[in-house]
Amino acid sequence: MVHLSSLLLKNYHGGYVVIRLALAGHKQANRPFYRIVAAYNKRARDGKYLEQLGTYDPLPNIYNEKLVSFNLDRIKYWIGCGAHPTKPVAKLLGLAGFFPLHPMTITEAERKRAQTVLTETRTEDLEEVQKEAEV
Amino acid sequence: MAALGTARCLFRSYSRVKNVQKSKQVLVRCSVRTLCSDTQDNALSDNAKPQITDPAVQDILTRITGLDLQKVFRPMKQELKPPSYKLMTDEQLEQATELAREQAKKLLKMPPILPERKPINDVLSEDKILDGMDTAKYVFTDITYNIPHRERFIVVREPSGTLRKATWEERDRLVQTYFPKEGRKLVAPLIFKEENLKMVFSQDRHEDVLDLCLVQFEPDSSEYFRVHAATYEDLDKHNKYELLRSTRHFGGMAWYLLNARRVDGLILDMLKKELFQDAVSLVSLFNMVHPNSESAQEAAREQATGTNLLKIYAQKESQRSGYIELALQAYEQMAANSSAAIPLR
Repeated sequence: MVHLSSLLLKNYHGGYVVIRLALAGHKQANRPFYRIVAAYNKRARDGKYLEQLGTYDPLPNIYNEKLVSFNLDRIKYWIGCGAHPTKPVAKLLGLAGFFPLHPMTITEAERKRAQTVLTETRTEDLEEVQKEAEV
Repeated sequence: MAALGTARCLFRSYSRVKNVQKSKQVLVRCSVRTLCSDTQDNALSDNAKPQITDPAVQDILTRITGLDLQKVFRPMKQELKPPSYKLMTDEQLEQATELAREQAKKLLKMPPILPERKPINDVLSEDKILDGMDTAKYVFTDITYNIPHRERFIVVREPSGTLRKATWEERDRLVQTYFPKEGRKLVAPLIFKEENLKMVFSQDRHEDVLDLCLVQFEPDSSEYFRVHAATYEDLDKHNKYELLRSTRHFGGMAWYLLNARRVDGLILDMLKKELFQDAVSLVSLFNMVHPNSESAQEAAREQATGTNLLKIYAQKESQRSGYIELALQAYEQMAANSSAAIPLR
């Protein structure tokens, strides 16, 4: 008997292809590792994908680098076929220089800088208070 | 005056055209490079100085490397298989030796010698707005399968926001991560440190070091040059040329010593082993590579061959001329004796 389930699931009604991050190696706790993957929109995040287009390792290595790999040839093909990249993939591609910079990257960088300035002023105030207390 | 001016203009434009052509040649060569890059047969024939890739130079270097079958096919660490015995006639034995010779020639193919690579300092973009976005660098590699490793895009986004091309060391490391080559480690083995090299040289294992170096480093990296220079210096100091004689590294060593103009030890060694032809070809190679030296000019004037070449070299260039002349005299005596002995029969 022909298995009908795979035939049925092949063409989603109104489904489209996305390029997104899928978590790999989910059997290891606290060690994420993402695959950059072209998959149908409605599929599970870690489920069956059409093609793997790269990897992303969010934890820095001994040289303080986060390794990202892109199969640019195939990414160009899928975008040509009409795939949509998700926000994190778009951010990564923007950082790589393949896409223009994502506005959220810039916003996050600004927010982080504001945060560091705030913490610095707070620590300075604390130190002054401590010195006055000693005196 | 006008003729001089036009001649100067012509000369300048010709040199520019020549440079353009050379750079075009270089570009064409870079784009045609394949993944397995262990041979490079380029014809850089419009330089005045002969390069190592010239067929004449290669010919001489292969000849002086020698072809000792016993050493090339000596027992190496391999999987343990019981030996296979075959019963052959004399003809079959000759054919088998011929096949072995061909195989040995392939094994003795010299590794490529390239000029040292210049460090990459290319910045693709400076984005001050991204300053402080993250504490770690992002390294982006292009893993498209069909491009040569030299042309892969590997870029680094620093926490300060600059997007720059990766340095050669980073490139080597990442290419090894995503496209692992057999035998290469991500971190260079500790044998290549100075102290460990000295210990290994005292054990006479120069060949193993050079093989490891060939596998681990790219042929134009600074590490490769450092290790090779250290090995050749040590060999030269202790006159241990015999260790490399029938291996693929002999040509490289000869080329290094030629460029450093310190071939005396090698020539003495050859004369002691009575490899007269090799010594002659080495001196002729020296004259080819350094055409401005005194011995080269003298030889060109006198059209010298054989013993005379060696005598001229001994007089003009070498520091140990006494030894060389003694050895030459001994060789000539021997030749005279053997030619005198024949009619005695």
